[in-house]
Amino acid sequence: MIPASLTRSLVGACGRDGVIVDEDRLVVYESDALTAYRHRPGAVVLPRTTAQVRAVVRAIAQHGLPIVPRGAGTGLSGGAVALDGAVVVGTARMNRILAIDAANRRAVLQPGVINSELSEAARPHGLHYAPDPSSQTACTIGGNVAENSGGPHCLKYGVTSRYVTGLTVVLADGSAVRLGGRGRDAPGYDLVGLFVGSEGCFGIATEIEVGLLPLPEGVRTLLGVFDRIEDAGRAVSDIVSAGLLPAAMEIVDGPTIRAVEDSVFAAGYPTDAEAALVIEFDGMEAGLDADTARAAAFCADAGAREVRSARDENERTALWKGRKKAFGALGRIAPDLLVQDATVPRTTLPSILRGISEIGKRYRLVVANVFHAGDGNLHPNILFDRRDRDELERVERASGEIMQLCVDSGGTITGEHGVGLDKKHHMPLIHGPAELRAMWGVRRVFDPAGVMNPGKVLPEPPPAGGARDGSGVQEGRPATAAAARP
Amino acid sequence: MKAAGNRLADAVREQERGLLNCVHCGFCLPACPTYRRLGDEADSPRGRLYLMQAVVEGRLDAGSDAFRTHIGRCLGCRACEPVCPSGVEYGHLLELARQVGGGSRPPPLLTRLLPRVFGTGRIARPAMFLGRLLRASGLPALATRMMAGRAGGEPHAQNPGRLRLATAMLAASAPAREMFHKPPPAPSGRGAGRTAGRSRGVAGEASHAPGTMREGAPTVALLTGCVQAGLFSRVNAASVRVLEANGYRVVPVRNQGCCGALHAHGGDLDGARALARRNVRAFAAAAVDFVAMNASGCGAAMAQYGSLLAGDPAVAERANAVAGRVRDISQLLDERGPVAGAAVPVRVAYDAPCHLLHAQGVADAPIRVLRSVPGVEIAPLDGAAECCGGAGIYSLANPRLGGWIGSDKVRSVLATGAQALVTGNPGCMMQIGAGLALAGSGVSVLHLVEVVDESYRLGGLYERAAR
Repeated sequence: MIPASLTRSLVGACGRDGVIVDEDRLVVYESDALTAYRHRPGAVVLPRTTAQVRAVVRAIAQHGLPIVPRGAGTGLSGGAVALDGAVVVGTARMNRILAIDAANRRAVLQPGVINSELSEAARPHGLHYAPDPSSQTACTIGGNVAENSGGPHCLKYGVTSRYVTGLTVVLADGSAVRLGGRGRDAPGYDLVGLFVGSEGCFGIATEIEVGLLPLPEGVRTLLGVFDRIEDAGRAVSDIVSAGLLPAAMEIVDGPTIRAVEDSVFAAGYPTDAEAALVIEFDGMEAGLDADTARAAAFCADAGAREVRSARDENERTALWKGRKKAFGALGRIAPDLLVQDATVPRTTLPSILRGISEIGKRYRLVVANVFHAGDGNLHPNILFDRRDRDELERVERASGEIMQLCVDSGGTITGEHGVGLDKKHHMPLIHGPAELRAMWGVRRVFDPAGVMNPGKVLPEPPPAGGARDGSGVQEGRPATAAAARP
Repeated sequence: MKAAGNRLADAVREQERGLLNCVHCGFCLPACPTYRRLGDEADSPRGRLYLMQAVVEGRLDAGSDAFRTHIGRCLGCRACEPVCPSGVEYGHLLELARQVGGGSRPPPLLTRLLPRVFGTGRIARPAMFLGRLLRASGLPALATRMMAGRAGGEPHAQNPGRLRLATAMLAASAPAREMFHKPPPAPSGRGAGRTAGRSRGVAGEASHAPGTMREGAPTVALLTGCVQAGLFSRVNAASVRVLEANGYRVVPVRNQGCCGALHAHGGDLDGARALARRNVRAFAAAAVDFVAMNASGCGAAMAQYGSLLAGDPAVAERANAVAGRVRDISQLLDERGPVAGAAVPVRVAYDAPCHLLHAQGVADAPIRVLRSVPGVEIAPLDGAAECCGGAGIYSLANPRLGGWIGSDKVRSVLATGAQALVTGNPGCMMQIGAGLALAGSGVSVLHLVEVVDESYRLGGLYERAAR
């Protein structure tokens, strides 16, 4: 419940239909795509313009309430969850593409534009927006900026930060600043670079300028079918070591294959296989066939029982749909899933995949893997039913062990989903107190009062000069996912 | 009362199984016409499923404003189903949610009243007669022309109002006489069940042109429907003619009635089941190869008779059998070629009815049938897969949002430069037709079979058959 005076200010800024304060209606904003966390916000505001966002943020800040920006709510780290009765500022109505400057390969858009719709709008100009998260048909550019999102094709093309050239940002006090823009290399510090990936803790991007790329002249898509997932991992490692640069290399494992093939997005992956490796090359037509043939040979050498090439656009689309809708399709196997996002050195893929499978067996859990193999960005999905308390306990323990395994192998705790609420307590695995203090320092510059998406990303600040802090580490995270269940 | 309580509990349990499939990925959000316009999670499929889940968990009252408003605001277009990787059966859950919601507080009068009118023959027949009388007077068409163009301003503010919309919809149900130079030779005002019988008498098996109807021709029964029989008897009559011209033997089925789709959509599952039972008995007794549908809303409903009546051992088996024989008329025509007629030189746009495209997954058959008609040019329609806002009686129950969605559809139809908009469901025909007329446009709205029928009529296929 927010104070009536705040409700009045919000309604004044966004109109009655742009403000939600009814407790019952707020239920649906409890979670993003990671439903293990449920916290009902104090209110939800749906502004349409930068001016409205400024007015809204100013009003909320004056009341000293925390603010949580939210895009399409497709995030997988609990980043858009509103802790402590925070007010959610949703960008769903800020969904206009403001300009496409084809000659300069730029687009200016509001944060609520859906990722794939930007590419669709750019296609008539022979252009596209390269970062393609698997949720690209639903997720919005504002969320992509907040999470510095990746996607299958980021293997070759890089993640969101490479494409954002300018931002209009509303800061925690309601002021608006303009970062970057008007040229590739703005003089001074790279504040755009700092903002992209700040997970809603630095401000709300209300206008985003991005670079677009020409559509590739040609595309080749390969499917390698393996009886052992480690072999698929080895093929990936070999292809990269040989100096080939595929646009994407994705592995879908056995349990995931079977879920996908059951769904409306059946891709034609053989259901008795233990891994499907999708490899794509794109670019100039010349050379594509040679690269594809070399990659196919590496697959065969690594033990693929079958390697085939998509014959036409329909087959190619099907192969990709299977991959991109895999996360949702896993809902067919179990009601709940916990997806991780660890990134490991590519060469360790075979041993880590084996390790994950052993952990799953030990805890009697189904772990489905579907991931950006080329980047070494793993997504082990642990499947469970939250109504089974014992299973939940095992999920928590298995999840911790998988994370530890990845970190021990020289990996890190997130590849693209962000830290959010879910991985905050893992941050000390990667960063020491000095680094965390430096991050806090940066955060305080953007948000001195600490109202922007508090409780996310960084564990509570360590005591000044103190050693590695363990006490605040569990803050904000339920001991088990079940604890988040009312 | 006890029984009602148990049914509620069953419905809730059934919901929980279906609801748990939703992993909250959000892929359905952009497919939802209400979310796209309102931007509120509670107006998205994922949000509505979450509300249902909250009711199942006992932390939200099914009679709460939140539940009623957001469940009520759903079009039921089921565009979220084909994009759902988890295969959540949203349409089914929605009906249960409306039943549960209606159990705690009755839905608005209009939502209760209209299905009852359609579903009760002795009320529907005189009501439809009055409707036809009024339509024949030309007053609705005149009134619509006078009202045209008045709903200016922003699309989301285009609320035609219930009365204006109803008037325009009635006018829009009239045949597009200006489109085809002569109305097809169909006596109007009679149910096509009877038409079918008569047409068999006139153009019976033996009298058909050689090759079009042999011994052992597949038999088809046509659902003549409630609104279809009342206001679109020309479409029913055309359906019989084009089916027969394509070698089907059309068998009249007398004791049929309203399919119950509107009842189910409104959450009156008991009412829907009663109507379904009657139809199951009638169509099972006819022992036909196919049950043909020229109203996709009815087709989607009848295709689900099996699950609707699964709990009724007396009819469950027959319900499954009947449901398995349900085909949209476009599928039946597509299956046979269809037979070619004469050229109908017209530029059309095709709008896919939601309950054909999303609920039944029939995407290509209607397009192929349209393409088979010489002279027809198909203009691509932006957003053809999106709901027109008609959604059964939605536009009458929710004139503001229905009007907004409808005006977007009208805008994309006008942008095609087509002379006619072709679709396959009476609700869509009236909604889009009303929208076009109120926008002052002369674009006609036709049922797919009307185009085929005109092509056959011009080609003399019927004369040959009758000879």
